[in-house]
Amino acid sequence: MLKNPRNYFFIGLLITIYIWAWQSLKVDLTSLSSSGQYLGVFLGDFFPPNWQVLPQAMEALLETIQMSVIGTTMGAILSLPIAILSAHNLSPVGLRSLGNLLQNTLRSIPSIILALIFVSVIGLGSTAGTFALGIYSIGYLAKFYQEAIESVDANSLQALQVTGASWLQIAQYGILPQILPLSLGYTLYMFEYNIRAASILGVVGAGGIGFELVNYINGFERTKATTFILVMLVVVTVIDLGSSKLRQKLTEL
Amino acid sequence: MIECQDIYSSHKSSLNRPILNGISLKINPGESVALLGPNGAGKSSLLKAMVGLVPIEKGEIQVNGRKITPKSLPYVRSQMGMIWQGGGLIPQLSALDNVLCGRLGKMSSWSSLGGFSKGDRQKAQTLLSELGLAWQSQEKVSKLSGGQQQRVAIARALMTSPPILLADEPTSGLDVVVTQQVMAILMALHQGGITLVLVLHDLAMARQYTDRAIILEQGRVIFDGKSDNIEQEYSQLC
Repeated sequence: MLKNPRNYFFIGLLITIYIWAWQSLKVDLTSLSSSGQYLGVFLGDFFPPNWQVLPQAMEALLETIQMSVIGTTMGAILSLPIAILSAHNLSPVGLRSLGNLLQNTLRSIPSIILALIFVSVIGLGSTAGTFALGIYSIGYLAKFYQEAIESVDANSLQALQVTGASWLQIAQYGILPQILPLSLGYTLYMFEYNIRAASILGVVGAGGIGFELVNYINGFERTKATTFILVMLVVVTVIDLGSSKLRQKLTEL
Repeated sequence: MIECQDIYSSHKSSLNRPILNGISLKINPGESVALLGPNGAGKSSLLKAMVGLVPIEKGEIQVNGRKITPKSLPYVRSQMGMIWQGGGLIPQLSALDNVLCGRLGKMSSWSSLGGFSKGDRQKAQTLLSELGLAWQSQEKVSKLSGGQQQRVAIARALMTSPPILLADEPTSGLDVVVTQQVMAILMALHQGGITLVLVLHDLAMARQYTDRAIILEQGRVIFDGKSDNIEQEYSQLC
């Protein structure tokens, strides 16, 4: 690898980029080491967990999961037409760039900004957060579905065309069975992701567990915040395990 | 009967010529014809043109006296079954469902939305049994061997009992024994009266299994005659 002089150039370039980034950020390691004690005090405030708020934590978490279920489903339904519009094996060039533009626009807006928009439109609460998740999911799910559609074997679709099958029949018997396992897997992954995303949306008042979490931290009731975090940790881990098992099963289809 | 009259496909810049570059030929009912020639000669494209998948710029193709146009396409396709290189099956569907897909052209989109009729399912099951796949009909196609997949593809092509069968390298990727099995099935169909057009790369197979051979080179027909002596003819021409 080091025989090629071009590689030396790239290694040099990489080192320069690191030095440039480090210098510009003025990362101060001495202040980090002296601030260690404050970190200890801050983290100490979080223990022991206050289990009195466990019912509230469960309730908020349930709301977070519900937001993710509805938001992901909403996103999945809206993503499918956009994915078909963007796929190069199904759609003409003009429509394709339109679909891709739409996807890129949605992908470039952070979920918290979407939540802010919906909070100002609909008002505080989980409805705003659910819509924010729905729109946010489109940016990713449409891309995933598009890739699944584009990986469909072209020969198999032409074979159906030759039997005289209509467009709808080709979609039902040719495209759907081939994209379903992959797309369901992606949707599950998005669901997992949205649970984590939903927990931050509460910060701007869009429902979910984040609202109480931030209030407890800022209101110096940090032992209560710990309970929320622990409940969140357990549930996210369980859902992650379950859904990754399910996704594994789906890819074997 | 299939008749190609001086057909040209669109110009392909990478070849600096059309893939089909002035082909005329006539395939009569009941014949078994091998399409031979080097890679890129236009064999597969010719087969696809016969079912209206490759647009023709000049000349025309007639099937049973009817010119291929968007309007006549449903009729043309009802006359032909096609077996694709590698099968062209839907890997996630069962063998039976893949065979049933051969019926789609005969059904409205609305009626196929809810699935297939009992009669169709029975016919598909019978076809699979005749091809030795009675026990694999519920198996996913991706779980079947190459030879079994090719037999599913044949069954699918036979679902509408077409008088003409087109096959693009039906034995590519199969071992010697399975190749013989697949070819035996095709020959039995031929003896039953089906017209066969096979794209082949193996000259010995063309001699053994077909009556007539057509050799293509650079999108043109350079030989059209009996396949008895095809190895010698081929070595002189290509």
